[in-house]
Amino acid sequence: MSVAGAEAAYFRRASRWKLTIIVLTALLIPTIILSLNIGFAQIPFPTVLRVLAKQTPLLGGLVDPSSVSGVEETIILQIRMPRVLADAMVGAALAAAGVVYQGIFKNPMADPYVLGVSAGAAVGAALAIVLGIGFTLFGLSTVPILAFAVSLIAVFVVYNISRVGSRVPVTTLLLSGLAVSIFLSAIVAVLQVISGEKLHAVVFWLMGSFSYVEWKDVWATLPLICLGTAAIYFFARDLNALALGEETAQQLGVDTERVKKLLLIFGSLVTAAAVSISGLIAFIGLIIPHLTRILIGPDHRILLPTSIIVGATFLVICDAVARVIVSPVELPVGIITAFSGGPFFIYLLYKKKGSYAF
Amino acid sequence: MPSNGDRDMAILNVDGVDCYYGAVKVLENVRFSVKEQDFVGILGPNGSGKTTLLRSISRALKPHRGVILLNDLNIYALRSVDVARQMAVVPQETSIGFNFTALDIVLMGRNPHLSRFQTEGAKDVAIARRAMERTGTWHLAERPVNELSGGEKQRIIIARALAQEPKVLLLDEPTVHLDINNQLEIMDLLRELQSREGLIILAVLHDFNLAARYCDSAILLKDGKIVSAGSVDAVLTSENIKNVFQVEAIVKRHPLTNYLYIIPISTPKPPLSRNLSVHVICGAGTGTALMKILVDEGYNVTAGVLNVLDTDYETTQLLRIPVASDAPFSPITEETHRANLEMVGRASAVVLTAVPFAHGNLRNLEAAKEALKLGIPTFVIEDIPVERRDYTRGEAKKRLMELKSKGATFVRNQHALLAILKVSEDKLRVARALRTEIPGHLKPETTPYEGGVVDDVKSHVGG
Repeated sequence: MSVAGAEAAYFRRASRWKLTIIVLTALLIPTIILSLNIGFAQIPFPTVLRVLAKQTPLLGGLVDPSSVSGVEETIILQIRMPRVLADAMVGAALAAAGVVYQGIFKNPMADPYVLGVSAGAAVGAALAIVLGIGFTLFGLSTVPILAFAVSLIAVFVVYNISRVGSRVPVTTLLLSGLAVSIFLSAIVAVLQVISGEKLHAVVFWLMGSFSYVEWKDVWATLPLICLGTAAIYFFARDLNALALGEETAQQLGVDTERVKKLLLIFGSLVTAAAVSISGLIAFIGLIIPHLTRILIGPDHRILLPTSIIVGATFLVICDAVARVIVSPVELPVGIITAFSGGPFFIYLLYKKKGSYAF
Repeated sequence: MPSNGDRDMAILNVDGVDCYYGAVKVLENVRFSVKEQDFVGILGPNGSGKTTLLRSISRALKPHRGVILLNDLNIYALRSVDVARQMAVVPQETSIGFNFTALDIVLMGRNPHLSRFQTEGAKDVAIARRAMERTGTWHLAERPVNELSGGEKQRIIIARALAQEPKVLLLDEPTVHLDINNQLEIMDLLRELQSREGLIILAVLHDFNLAARYCDSAILLKDGKIVSAGSVDAVLTSENIKNVFQVEAIVKRHPLTNYLYIIPISTPKPPLSRNLSVHVICGAGTGTALMKILVDEGYNVTAGVLNVLDTDYETTQLLRIPVASDAPFSPITEETHRANLEMVGRASAVVLTAVPFAHGNLRNLEAAKEALKLGIPTFVIEDIPVERRDYTRGEAKKRLMELKSKGATFVRNQHALLAILKVSEDKLRVARALRTEIPGHLKPETTPYEGGVVDDVKSHVGG
């Protein structure tokens, strides 16, 4: 591009960003609708559309009620619908948290789990499953509640180990996250050993699965994830400045320590919320930010929303595959994300390795 | 100017600042103020607290004691965005995460001027473009910044600082990665910003000559304390440089540019003492390098006769060498000649450099002749043939030949001389003892060196 055009190109980029968001959102919605059609029970696609139309205020009257059976309606609205929405939410949350942590730590290996969220959630979930603790809170079962609670406790511990006065050095944060995770993983291992016939359930949870997601799980986590990612977007430009180093960001007017603390809180909240309903889905929070950065560039104002949409789309597709690929058995979705995302990411890295710099 | 008075005009005040890293005190009671349109160089050895001072002024390291006031407001009580609108910082090194383009980086300088969800508009891009044009980087606008060279990247960072439209610009060794032409370009730019836009510039500099050339004032730090602050001329003296860096330096005003220039001489080693005196007859710079080496090698050096203002004379002053000297441009007087002979008499060896001869300094050849008469080994360095430096129509050459016939040893250069001196050290010492400690009537008729040192000399120089 010509030198004189750098200004013009800069403004063209802004409109390209808008277009990107519109196109990607336009792709996410049909993906969600299509994936409602995928599952163990064979339901024709027109039926899926009829069920959806019936629920839509204006179109509802146009649908012949007799063309949809009660069973089909239940499968789509009560089983698949919450599950697909949970896919999208969890994908979005993990991608957003991945962007945040990679931005704060300036480390390409950072993912939503670096601060011990995953290990904490695993301890919580394993405790609930193995010890068979049974209580409900706001209609939610024990596993997500304990997973959520223990993961936040883990982050709180990690954060306070690293804190020096009012400052939190990121290197210490990374290392104490690692140390706490290792310790908690040992607890999970012990719980697995004594779990007996419940081992299958623990392993399934650890690999991530949406099999048991119900509407109440969606409703419980939706506000957390929506508000959390919105709050993260609030700091998108600060994340850009942080790429120049904390001290320089400070000198550019960013209140570094406060921004870092808030981002860590929101990142942990959305991750904990996501993990509590889906279990540990590896890979997505690490790879989606990188993939999006390769495709659209490092500016967090576009990177963050794009990653959120791409993460949501990717997980919706992966979960659809997980449901049917070895039907009637269902695979943990974490296996699918790793199987499909890994090679694709390697391909992108290979193609772009010269020009992609973290 | 950094001084304690004149507080009303000043816009940056550093008042009694102490800084610590952990328990280590890095700055102690640092106090100065800088007025509008001042270019201040912060100088000092490694670890003297220069960068710390800059960090504490830039709101990155809160002082334990004392305050830093920007327009009478304590910067640590302001929001960082309010400080960032007035003060920009160019750090020593910037590692940039992610592959931002150069323009992206420069536009980040607009950050403090934008509200939370405002995006950079045409005005911001125009400001960024202007900053990049001034630093000569606009043609790099769309290049990923991590693919640029060190110098290009540094200029992008400076452009980013300019895009902040600051009143105060802090730079930590801004030219350390740059070639000499880029160094001057950047410093010229800073100077222009300071004079045209009234910026206060504080720059940590390593290079005294850059500081002397561009700064109005300077602060010299040592062990976290200000040793000297004031105008560049007042701060950059050879005494201050010696005090702070333990390095001898020549400080002069350059005749062409009228800037101060500073030439550091190497760090003085504790001299080896050889307990041998060498008298150097030189002039017009022919003895400067030799005297320096002789001193470094631990000889006691004397010199003469030199005219005041002669380069060799200045060297003797710098190296604290005893010298017999005469007024500038005047012939050697009887009195000085005698002083010279006295020094010759005390020496273990005499060296005559390839000095040009005119009628004014022919007497120095007499002094050499006298040395031979006294039986002192005398060496003539002949790296320039005498014909090319004889302005006496052959008189000097005649006398030089006479020296040769009387036993002076001719050597090709100062390295050959040093080799001979080293090898013959013991003999020289014995010879001198013979000459001075044995009563006159017991002295041998002929000089004892004709068969001794001089033979060695001949075998060394191959003639």
